[in-house]
Amino acid sequence: MSVVAGVDIGSTTAKCVVLGEDSQVLGKSLSVVGVDIVKDAERALEAAIADAHLSRSDVSFITGTGYGRYKIYFGQLVVTEISCHARGASFLFPGTRVVVDIGGQDTKAIRINEKGEVVDFAMNDKCAAGTGRFLDVCANALGYDVGEIGALSLQARRAVKVTSTCTVFAESEVTSYVSRGKDPKDILAGLHASIANRTLSLMQRVGVEPEVTFTGGVSQNEGMVQALRRRLGAPVNVSPLSQYLGALGAALHGRERIVAGGAS
Amino acid sequence: MITGGLDLGAGVVKGVLLEDGRRILATTSAPSRGVPVQVARHVLEELGETANIAPSDVDYLCTTGFGRYTIPERNLQVSDFTSSARGAVFLFPKTRLVVDVGTQASRTMSVSPTGKVLKFKMNEKCAAGAGRFVERCSKYLQVPLEEMGPKALASEHPKLISSVCAVLAETEIINNVAEGVALPDILMGVFLSLSQRAFSLMRYVGIQPEVTLVGGLVRNVGMVKALHDTVGMDVNVAPDAYYAAALGAAILGHSRALKLAQAPQGIGG
Repeated sequence: MSVVAGVDIGSTTAKCVVLGEDSQVLGKSLSVVGVDIVKDAERALEAAIADAHLSRSDVSFITGTGYGRYKIYFGQLVVTEISCHARGASFLFPGTRVVVDIGGQDTKAIRINEKGEVVDFAMNDKCAAGTGRFLDVCANALGYDVGEIGALSLQARRAVKVTSTCTVFAESEVTSYVSRGKDPKDILAGLHASIANRTLSLMQRVGVEPEVTFTGGVSQNEGMVQALRRRLGAPVNVSPLSQYLGALGAALHGRERIVAGGAS
Repeated sequence: MITGGLDLGAGVVKGVLLEDGRRILATTSAPSRGVPVQVARHVLEELGETANIAPSDVDYLCTTGFGRYTIPERNLQVSDFTSSARGAVFLFPKTRLVVDVGTQASRTMSVSPTGKVLKFKMNEKCAAGAGRFVERCSKYLQVPLEEMGPKALASEHPKLISSVCAVLAETEIINNVAEGVALPDILMGVFLSLSQRAFSLMRYVGIQPEVTLVGGLVRNVGMVKALHDTVGMDVNVAPDAYYAAALGAAILGHSRALKLAQAPQGIGG
């Protein structure tokens, strides 16, 4: 058997994972998506192959997924990000029954079976509320980098309740709390709690069932993991690979395709 | 009798001084900058200076808008629906439908010939369709607010925006810029998107002529054209429609003051 790759072109970042014979991760890449998605996809693949110390000819099968999957011109297969996240989450945490994927521009709750197949899903892709973008905008309004706000939110003493759903209004709400002298850490805790609330209501549409696995870029935010855990009253699976689960799932789908092809 | 109307909106404080409920003596406005009460004081002073009237000569003050309860010296406060509707009917007596696009909320109401609100619908949950969206576009497109409308009029093939969310629309617009879409087409797309949001509110209350646009975007020729094209009928606009809610508040203040003056002593305060 041979090396496979999965490329996940999200709204904000491109992820690529290269898997070896025993589905061990050989290499991965994460990069920002710009305007030229076709080129960004190409670069994400090259970076992950370089990370694995391989060359392009070593990769026998490439699967694309994500919001920009139709702009990947080099692969053999295209799979929706919903089944890729399901597959990837089930691979890392076999007990997963609900996958929560909070990405840059949308949020999904996916209920899966023990084989990692999608049973039901709900998503918000109409509005930035409750997505990574919401955190981005609010972090900027407070003068922080989005990478540091999760840890800061955990230092809060008393969370400030953020009532706006709309990202634009939340931004003004945050600014008004700052001008009233509220501690930014307390505001951040309120923002994280607000997203956890929205996420839970999305999860309730597919049914909340343990284990819950948190994927997508926002799963790297420790404050968000804690807020979700607190709101659920149950543990939440996360891994350093959580952000790559779409790409990982894509690679796994590719591997299955090779196996199925070989058997027939 | 001189009555004052103050509209403490989410983005701008507007004020009107009115004589005998009929004649506009002064109008002015200032951005609220997070301190609407202080700004309202300045607005009142400025109105007095323009009309050459001492603050004590204002017989009755009526407030409206988001911050209407924050002014202690008010004699009366009315909701923004009531005041906008009254102001619109004062400016255009045949108005049956009022569209009010503000900084943070957009509303539409059907009105009776006397300016009473019959039915209304509002969006205050989301920035799509509100003035704040236009302000943000102005910032990232680097086109001053007052130039957006005139520039949009040059559009030949407006670039429609598919995202409803103001934040996601931002990404879409930036992509359009990167793809080389002409600026007027992008700007007209912004106004069409706002008009479509307003249109869906209007349909809810029922569309009937005459339609009057009031509030923050009334001075924007791009918005007026987009709304006209979307609704498919003429839309009344006037410079003073920017102050419609403050004007309506001053008119309603005048009627209340008259009633109080006519009431026997000891009744009605």
